[in-house]
Formats: sequence, C-alpha cells, structure tokens
Amino acid sequence: MSMRTAAELVGLLRAVAGGDQAAFEALYAATCAKLYGVVLRILRRADLADEVMQEAYLKIWNSAGQFDPAVASPITWMVAIARNRAIDVARRKRDVSVEEAPEVLERAADIADPLAGRERSEELRRLLDCLGRLEPDQRRLMLLAYYNGLSREELATRTGRPVNTIKTWLRRSILAVRECLGS
Amino acid sequence: MTSDDDRDVLAAEYVLGTLDAAERAQAEALVRADASFATLVRGWEHRLNELHAGVEPVEPPPQLFERIRQRLAGAQPGGAAQVIELGEMRRRVARWRNFGTAMAALAAVLVALLVTSVMRPDLVPSRLRPAAEVAQAPAAGRLVAVLQQDAASPAFILTVDVDKRTMTVRRVAAQQPTGKSYELWLVSKQFPKPRSLGLVGQQEFTTGTALAAYQPETISDATYAVSLEPEGGSPTGEPTGAVLWGGKLIQAVPAARP
Repeated sequence: MSMRTAAELVGLLRAVAGGDQAAFEALYAATCAKLYGVVLRILRRADLADEVMQEAYLKIWNSAGQFDPAVASPITWMVAIARNRAIDVARRKRDVSVEEAPEVLERAADIADPLAGRERSEELRRLLDCLGRLEPDQRRLMLLAYYNGLSREELATRTGRPVNTIKTWLRRSILAVRECLGS
Repeated sequence: MTSDDDRDVLAAEYVLGTLDAAERAQAEALVRADASFATLVRGWEHRLNELHAGVEPVEPPPQLFERIRQRLAGAQPGGAAQVIELGEMRRRVARWRNFGTAMAALAAVLVALLVTSVMRPDLVPSRLRPAAEVAQAPAAGRLVAVLQQDAASPAFILTVDVDKRTMTVRRVAAQQPTGKSYELWLVSKQFPKPRSLGLVGQQEFTTGTALAAYQPETISDATYAVSLEPEGGSPTGEPTGAVLWGGKLIQAVPAARP
C-alpha cells in the first residue's frame, strides 16, 4: 500500500461516495496491492482473483456511502468486502485445491511470521494478544482459516482432525477471543 | 451454550470464512433479514480484518483498473442491465422485519434467498398495467396481484410462487411518507382478521417467506392488501391505517405447460 493515512482514505471514500472517479482511482492505487494480496492468498488463482477484485471495487464504489469511520477503518472495511467475495468464490470452486500450494498454508499457520516487524494498530495489538492466549493448535487454526479462507472441512483435511473437533475448536476460540477483547 | 453465543459464533465463522456454501448462504440471508445479526457480522469484520496486516501486498496486473473502470462505466444509469448480477439483486432485497427468532427463520430465509436468486426483475411487467390485465412472462405456476387503485397511481406488484410459498413485492412509484411503513396483509375467509405478511421494504423489491405458514389453497384464494401503518408496522397486529390497495392473485401464465 502506498503511503496514505487512514484519514486520507476516509476522505477518499467520502469523495467516492459522491461519485468522484479521480478519488476512486486514488483509492484503488492506495489499496489494490493489499486487497489483491488478500484475495490471491485465498484463491491462489490469478484469474479468479482478478474477477473478485473487479467485483470488490465495484461494490466499494457502490457502497462507499455506507462506510462509517466510527465502526471500521477504511482498510478493514475494504478488506472485508474483498475477502468476503473471495470466500464466496472459494466455496463455489471446489477445484481450487488446498494441495496446490501447501507451502503457503504452512506460512499462514505461523502467527509470528506474517506480522513480524509491522506497525500494529491498537486494535491489532489487542487481537493478537487475545489470539496469543489460545492453545497453539487452536490459534493456528484461526489464522489458517483467516488467511487462507479454508472451510471447516478443508481445515479438517489439512490438520488431519475430525470436522467436529474443528467446529468445537473454532467455537471455543471465537468465544474466548470475544471475551478477551471485551474485557 | 446459548442462542446468543450461537449467533455470534455464526457471525464470526461467516467472517472468518469457515462456513460451507449452504451455511454462508444462510448467514448472508440473515445479514439481510436481521439487523442485529448484521451488526454482529460488522463487529467481527472489524475485529478480524485487522489481521490483514499479516498479508503481503501483491501488485495486481496493471490492466485490472481499466477493467474495473469499464465495468463502472457500464454500471452508470442507462447501462445498468448488464452488471446487475446476483449480488446486486440480493442487495435490493429489503429487510423483512417481522421475523420471529433468527435461528428459526434461518431455513425460511434461505428459501427466500434461493427464490430471489433465480427470480429476475423482468418477471413482472416493467410498465404498469391496469389491475385486471394479466402480467406477462412469469414462469409457470406463478401468480401475480397488482395492488393498485387506477393505472396512474402508485402500486405494489405481488408475485407469489404458490408451490414454494414465497413472494416478492415490487414497489412501483409508491413513496413512503416519513415515519410510516407499508404493511402487506393476507385477507382470507379462513381467518376472522387480516393476517400480516410483513412490511414492504424501502427498496424496489421485497421478498418474504411469511406465506410459508399458509396452505397453497389459502394463498391462491386470498385477497392481498397494503395499508399505511406507523413506522415499524401495525402496533395491534391488524391494519390500523386505511387499506390503500387490494387485489387478488391472477394466474400469470397457465400452470400446465408441455
């Protein structure tokens, strides 16, 4: 992502909501590499990722007026849109095999690595703190799910554990994270 | 294990991406149907997507923005048709406020979503026709009621799939006065009083599954009416405002087709 502050992105989104195409292009330039990284990691196919990016930015254009800086930061809001689309596509395309890129999965499972040395928002710091309190296997599961967009079944295949175990772990982790963030 | 926890876990798993396709469709339907569930989802989106910091940026192909720009140009007024896709259609589906508990509504909402997905906006005539005229184009077995006083007045076009017991209300030029809601009613000799089928949303299309509670014969024979109620719907469960429009369903096309 190029050097744009959250406040600048908020301003761009506001202009986009008013139909400003130049602002949209600037917003795209500032965020496309991040969003592409997110969806490519989930889909692992450039053609699918391209399509999802197009849909995501069309949605961003159409719903910029709904962005509320009190609820989300511009980048988490945009990532949510792109990621959501990518997971929809991943669920429909069963032929995007997990086995195609096992090394990506291994990297995703490591919490320290992807976030090492990066500037952390207060929210991220708190989330990582809460994830850090989970059992290591359960923390890895959450991160594997988030970064690679895997379903419970895929997580089960990937980790060699029963789907019911995956389901229980996810539930436990989610409730633990919620309680931790709430306190 | 409480129901509140179930909802929150569903919201979190939806955001996390661990739901299968059917569960995702259910969660998406809930997001549209249930504002409190949508708030849970937004909360988890905000919390979990902080993790994007761990994703290495990747420059997309340079021609990608041009493709987006072109689709955007095609999406401007006048060129909207080709970019209206399933997602856009779903977004048009207004919130339905008369659901019972969210979990109980899940299955019903999914049916509505699937029906909406296959339903095209051109299933009902784009221009208003006199109330007695048969609508064109809908699929076999679909019934249509045009709830309108005269050809010049605003109207609601109710399309019902009797077999699936689902309905879509299309709002045509009916502006809603501030602080009021349009409510749809089923009037049948089977019941002593009109039964509410929920509110008509602000968007052009509202879909609903309230008909699931009625027998197909009741649905076919009933009269449908729209009344103007206090915001959020009738406080008494019966029409309190004037019934503005009413009509009966007519067969859109013969049900039996070769």
